[in-house]
Amino acid sequence: MNRLTLLAFCAGLLFAGTAAAKPGDAAKGKEIYDKRCTWCHGADGDGAGAAKYLLNPPPRDFTSGNYKIKSSSFEDMVPNDDDIFRMIRDGMPGTAMPGWSDLLSERDMWNLVAYVKTFAGYDKPPGAQVDFGTRISSSVESIEKGRKLYEEGDRCVECHGKSGKGSASKRLKGDAGERTWPRNLTKPWTFIGGNDPKDIFARISTGIAGTEMPSFADPKSKKKLAIEERWHVANYVASLAKAGKKVDAGNTVIKADKVDGDLPDAPDDARWENATPSTFYLVPQLIAEERFFTPSNNTITVRALYNDQMIAMLLEWDDRTRSNPGDEAAEKLADAPIAEDGVAVQLPVTVPKGMQKPYFGMGDAAHPVNIWHWKSGAKDAPESINLVNSRGFKEIEKRDAAVAGLKAKASYSDGTWKVLITRPLMTSSPEKDIQLTEGRFIPVAFAAWDGSNNSEKGSKHTMTTWYWLLLKPASGSRPLITALMVMCLFAGGLLWWARSATKPAA
Amino acid sequence: MTTLQKKRVPRLLQFALVVFGVYFGFILVFDVLLGQLIPRSLLTMYMVFVVSGALMAFTFTEEGGRELVAPIKALVEDPSRKKLRNAVFVIVPLLAGYYTYTSMLPGFEAPVELRTIHPAPPSKFKAYGKSYNLTTLENPYRKYQKEDPAKFRELVKAGGDVYIKNCQYCHGDKLDGKGPYAAGLNPTPINFQDVGTIAQLQESFLFWRIATGGPGLPAEAAPWISSMPVWENFLTEEEIWEVILFLYDYTGRQPRSWK
Repeated sequence: MNRLTLLAFCAGLLFAGTAAAKPGDAAKGKEIYDKRCTWCHGADGDGAGAAKYLLNPPPRDFTSGNYKIKSSSFEDMVPNDDDIFRMIRDGMPGTAMPGWSDLLSERDMWNLVAYVKTFAGYDKPPGAQVDFGTRISSSVESIEKGRKLYEEGDRCVECHGKSGKGSASKRLKGDAGERTWPRNLTKPWTFIGGNDPKDIFARISTGIAGTEMPSFADPKSKKKLAIEERWHVANYVASLAKAGKKVDAGNTVIKADKVDGDLPDAPDDARWENATPSTFYLVPQLIAEERFFTPSNNTITVRALYNDQMIAMLLEWDDRTRSNPGDEAAEKLADAPIAEDGVAVQLPVTVPKGMQKPYFGMGDAAHPVNIWHWKSGAKDAPESINLVNSRGFKEIEKRDAAVAGLKAKASYSDGTWKVLITRPLMTSSPEKDIQLTEGRFIPVAFAAWDGSNNSEKGSKHTMTTWYWLLLKPASGSRPLITALMVMCLFAGGLLWWARSATKPAA
Repeated sequence: MTTLQKKRVPRLLQFALVVFGVYFGFILVFDVLLGQLIPRSLLTMYMVFVVSGALMAFTFTEEGGRELVAPIKALVEDPSRKKLRNAVFVIVPLLAGYYTYTSMLPGFEAPVELRTIHPAPPSKFKAYGKSYNLTTLENPYRKYQKEDPAKFRELVKAGGDVYIKNCQYCHGDKLDGKGPYAAGLNPTPINFQDVGTIAQLQESFLFWRIATGGPGLPAEAAPWISSMPVWENFLTEEEIWEVILFLYDYTGRQPRSWK
C-alpha cells in the first residue's frame, strides 16, 4: 500500500515535471507580459519602460537578444529556456527585477519564456552548451592556482582589482551606453547569476553579454583559460567573500567598547580588530531634491571605541574609485564633473528622552542634528572634516570642527575607504553639540558620497536610517557584590523561617 | 469529598501550571504564531497581573489559601523532608543571586519602538497650498472606470509609469513592499498586495499619505523614522490620483467608499 502511494507520487512528479518543461504558449505569455513586465521592459520588449534611465542596471532590451546570465556556450547568443525561466523565477538580487514565483504560476512563467524569446526571434534552442568538464572542488591548492590565474597578466585584476572589490582602472559601459561597474567579488550575495562556484564557472565561460565581461573560454582570447583553470579561478573568486560585510538585520546597535589608555589613532591600527563591527545598508537619497537613482555604494561597516575622554569611530565602505578632483586618471574614471568622496555621521544634538527622534533626513525644526562630514580632498586640497548643525535640508549652520575637537584621518586602499573620526565625549558647547555619555542608546545615522558617480550635487549620496550607538559601560564589581548580598539575605531569611517554624516542635 | 480531594492535583502545582501556561501562551501567540516578538517589559507587566490575579483566585477562601501554602509549610516543618529542605535552602539563594547578577549587568538590546502603523487620519490636511477635507475628498478619475473604460486604462497606464519611476525602489515591482532598497529601511515599506492595506482604505486616505509623506504622519506613527517622501514636492495632484488608480488596478483590489 505504502509503496503504491509512493509510486503514484513519483509518477505524479514525473508528469508535473514534463508538463512544466513543455514549451510555453507565447500568446498567453503576452497577456502576462502586458500586465506585469511592460512597466520596465516596454511594450515592445526593448527595455524602454518609463524608468529606463533611472534604473541601474537598466531593464533588459529583449530585442537585442543579449542575455547576461546563460548556460549556453559563448558562441551562441541564444540562451536556454531554463536560463530565462530561472531569471523570472528568482529575479536578480540588488536590481529592480524581483523573483516572480509568488505571483505567477510555473505555467505562467514558461509562457512568459516563450513570449520573451520572440522579441529577438529566437525559435530554436542554442546549439552548444557550456562545457563544465569535471568539477574541481575547492581546496587550498585550487584556490592558490586560481589566484595566480586571476592575477596573471592582469587577467581579472584589470577590472575587478587585486582584492576583487572591482576597484576600477577602466571606465566600463554596457550595450545601452549605460555606466557599469565591475562586480565587487567580495560580496557574493550581490551576484545576479548565483554565487556557487558552478555559477561563477558559467559566467567566466560565457562572459556577460551586453557588458565588457568577456568569455574566457574563447580560444581566440589572449586571456583564455582551459576548463580546469576556470574551475580554479571560480574557486578562488568564491573564496574572496568577506562575510563580515554582509548585513545582519538583527543588529541595530553599534557597541563601543571602553579601552584603557589611548585610542587607535590611525584607520589601519591593529587594535580595530578587537572592536565589534556593525554593517548597515546604504540606500540612495530619495526624499529630497535632487534625488539619487544609481548608487554605487551599498553597505557601510562601523566600529567604535572610547576611553575616559574621547570617542573614535572607524567607518569603512567599499568604493571602486578614489575620486580625486584635479587628478587626470581619477577624472577619466568619473562621471564628470568629478567631486570628492565623503562620509558623514549624523547624531541628535540632544539625546532624546522619549521615543521621538529628529527627522532622519538632517533633523527637523524642533530637533536639530550634528553632522560630522568628512571629505576626501582634491589634488591640491587636503582631506577635511566639517561640522554642521541642521534643522532639516534647508536650515544648515556651518560650524568650526576644530573648536568641537572633531578630527579625522583616512586611508584608501584597493577599493576600500577607511575613515577614522574622533571627538571628545564632552564639548564646550553642550547646547550645540551632542554630549556622549556611557550606557545610553544614542540615535546615529550615516551617509556616503562617491565623487565619481554623480556626486557633484551634494544631495546625490547614499544613506542609512537611524541606528543606535551605545558606549558600553564597564560593569565593574557592583553586580557581583549586590548578587552576593542578595544571596546572603535569602539564605538568612530562609534559616530564620525554618528556625521559627520548628521551634514549637522542639 | 475526601476521595475527590486526594485525586486532585495539589493546589500549588495548579497555581504554577496556570502561571506558566499563561506565560507560554503569550510566547506562543505573539512570537510563534504572529511572528511579532512581544517586548520583555510588556510581558513582565502582563505577568505581574496574571500572578496577582491567580493568587487572588487561589486564596479566595481561607481554606484554599491554606491548601496553597501547605506543601511549602510542610517542607519547612516536616522533619522527614530535611534533605529536600536543605537542598531548597541552597538552591533558592543561588538562583536569587544569579538573577540579581544577570539583571544588573548592563543590557545591549535596542530600545523597543512602538508605533501606530495605520494612524487615524485627520479630518483636514494641507498640501499643494490648499486645504483638503478628507471626509469628502474623492479620486476625480474613479468615475471613468464605468463611464469611459478606454480613458480609465490610459490613466492606469500613466499611474503605472509614475509608480515605476518613483515608488518601486522601495515598494517593489510587484507592489509587495520588497523593492531593491526595502531591506535598508525601518519601518519597512507597506505591502500593497496585503489584504490589510489599501483594500481597507479609501482613496482619500492614500492621497493624504502620499501627498504629505512620512513627515505628514501624526506623532503616534513616528514621522521622524518614516522614509516615505513628501510627494507633493515631486508629483502633481493628478499624478498622485493616477498612481492610486494603478495601485488598486495592479493588485486587483477595490477602494473602500462611503457609498
